[in-house]
Amino acid sequence: MIIAHLDLDAFFAAVEELEDPRLRTKPLVVGGDPKGRGVVATANYVARRYGIRSAMSCAEALRRCPHAFFVRPSRNRYSAYSRTVWDCVREITPTVERTGIDEGYLDVGEVASDFGEARAVAEAVQISVRAATSLSCSLGVASCKVVAKIASDRRKPGGITVVRTGQERSFLAPLDIRLLPGVGPHSERRLSAAGIETIGALAELDDRELSTVLRGKVGRLLRHRAQGIDPRALAGPAEAISISHEETFPRDVESRTQLYAELNAMAGRVVERLDVLGQAGRTITTKVRYGDFSIRSRSRTLAEPTDQAERIGEVACQLLDRALQDRPGALRLVGVGVSNLVNERQLPLVDSSELQESSGAAAHAALTVRSEQEDGPHGT
Amino acid sequence: MNIKTSRDVLAEALQAVGRAVSARSTVQILSGILLRAEEQILEAAATDMEVSIRARVTAEVTETGAAVVPGRLLLDITRVLPAGEVALAYDANEGLLNLRSGSSSYRLNTYAAADYPRLPEPAPGELFAVPQEPFFATLARVSRAASRDESRPVLTGILVRLSGDRLTMAATDSYRLSVKETPLAAACDRDVDAIIPARALGELVRAGQASREEHLQVAVQDNQVMFGSNAAWLSARRIDGQFPNYEQLKPDGFEGEARIGRDELADAVRRVAVLAPRNTAMRLRFADSKLTIRAQTQDVGEAEESLPVAFSGESIEIGFNPQFLLEGVESVDSEEVRIRLINPLRPGLLAGERDDFWYLIMPIRLAS
Repeated sequence: MIIAHLDLDAFFAAVEELEDPRLRTKPLVVGGDPKGRGVVATANYVARRYGIRSAMSCAEALRRCPHAFFVRPSRNRYSAYSRTVWDCVREITPTVERTGIDEGYLDVGEVASDFGEARAVAEAVQISVRAATSLSCSLGVASCKVVAKIASDRRKPGGITVVRTGQERSFLAPLDIRLLPGVGPHSERRLSAAGIETIGALAELDDRELSTVLRGKVGRLLRHRAQGIDPRALAGPAEAISISHEETFPRDVESRTQLYAELNAMAGRVVERLDVLGQAGRTITTKVRYGDFSIRSRSRTLAEPTDQAERIGEVACQLLDRALQDRPGALRLVGVGVSNLVNERQLPLVDSSELQESSGAAAHAALTVRSEQEDGPHGT
Repeated sequence: MNIKTSRDVLAEALQAVGRAVSARSTVQILSGILLRAEEQILEAAATDMEVSIRARVTAEVTETGAAVVPGRLLLDITRVLPAGEVALAYDANEGLLNLRSGSSSYRLNTYAAADYPRLPEPAPGELFAVPQEPFFATLARVSRAASRDESRPVLTGILVRLSGDRLTMAATDSYRLSVKETPLAAACDRDVDAIIPARALGELVRAGQASREEHLQVAVQDNQVMFGSNAAWLSARRIDGQFPNYEQLKPDGFEGEARIGRDELADAVRRVAVLAPRNTAMRLRFADSKLTIRAQTQDVGEAEESLPVAFSGESIEIGFNPQFLLEGVESVDSEEVRIRLINPLRPGLLAGERDDFWYLIMPIRLAS
């Protein structure tokens, strides 16, 4: 298996520079309003010299670089560029897995028989992308996804890093543990508390040591990745793995009634998307962001997938209650997501919510047949 | 307690009650089997608080008494003992059961019989007789539709309704529903309307098939239903709650009807189902006097089979869980299955030639 990970360099900013070449030499931030509560989506390499990074608040970016140019993202334009990029990548490596608007994996093994050829393929991709769009990208080439992904970030912008079979461990060993995909803030805290700062240190742990730092599957998965072992193949045509909708309020909101109304409205938006895709989801997530930017999310997995706005809204509101019970406060953002999506759904004969109500309560009326057609706007 | 009996008789009693021994109860004593020696009788009993079983066998009793012996252990021992006489002697002071057979002997720790829960017992006047064969036959037609999901207790039970000379049973897991009505040769003495755990009734069938009696003795109490004969008693906890009103779940009318040979259909479903792993849909297309069954697994492959069918109505494609479909087809007892459909999002109905049995099955909504 030879896989390449392609990452477009400072993608949003690069597109903006193409649209307005004068920006090229100036610190440029693509994101929200620096006077409001926007965050940085991408900064160009000039702005990065001032310490501006993705996900930083725009106000902070402005403080670090008062003469920076701030541009609002124009997603449609980025999508168009992204399509062109991937069209020309597919002409070289037909099998790709897009994992985002600006990154994805290429099945290089399909066209290259060894790492020498693989490097040539990666160079061809770079040249072709630059010719078609004037955009620069970086690639990592390796025997598995996790190493390719880390490698693509090593020589940015415009670099190619090839890690040959057998060199994965020595390549990863000196790198900061935070660079390992799958290490989130929680694992990072635990690893750092155990004195594990590099990927190599994680790779060296024996089972007993590992179990004291990271429990169960996650620990073994991350150690495998740290050792350069990652059996994941390229996934087929990207399907949605979750559908969500969220909104930042102009002003922090505390009123529970208003939050419920927002969540229910968002559940409706999510269901519109589910309808288009013909999917239903089992896991419902409510995300909240407090005034101090901290984020919490609460999820519940249902016994059966649902595509009903009322059900999603109801669960989302319960999850909101749970989040606010754990930590009360005014919210600057709420969101509703549905994941664990399925295309085909076993329809119920008896509605589960009615069943819950009726069990134990003999006085309740009989259950009714549930008809999808009568319930909602699904075609046959 | 001091008794003598044969290995086979002891094994018969223990195996009868073994299935009620609690496998994962936090109450230790429930993993035991209660042995009680009375005049010429050895009674074995076990319960997991949902199902209790008591079995009585004859034995040579020289001293009456009772002890609770670890169930699995005792079953394992009887399985490997040589054929012949077995002597059980309980030493109450030590709390040990001595088991001897030929030259082998065991000393087993026990639990105190006084700590064992009191098992339900029918009061003399409560018992009435129900013909066993129709009871079991009715049960066999519906039991597979019961749910195994403990989060909805009502659906793990089978609705048993006895009204005069009419026996009705129904079961549903909320995706399919199966209902069988059976006329009895004579009216029973009492009416019954109870939701009984499907698992308990399964045990009853196992026990009953061995006994081959003509009638089941039944007693219905507020919380328990008891079934049995002199040899063995099974009591089951009744499930609280309201069983779905199955008559209301049956659609008023259907758009199309197909008639297909039951065995041919079942075989075709089995063959195609190989390519429809758990919970994925099998597609049934009824068109032009032909039923085409298809299943597809991404990255694996697909299967297809066609069979001739008498179909009235507009052509339709509908998805079903293959297991639910197969169990429905197998529950029909006539040569031909009638499948009645409305549209791909409404329930389908499977029935035989008569109207005394029906199996309602909800489709899987197919991806377009």
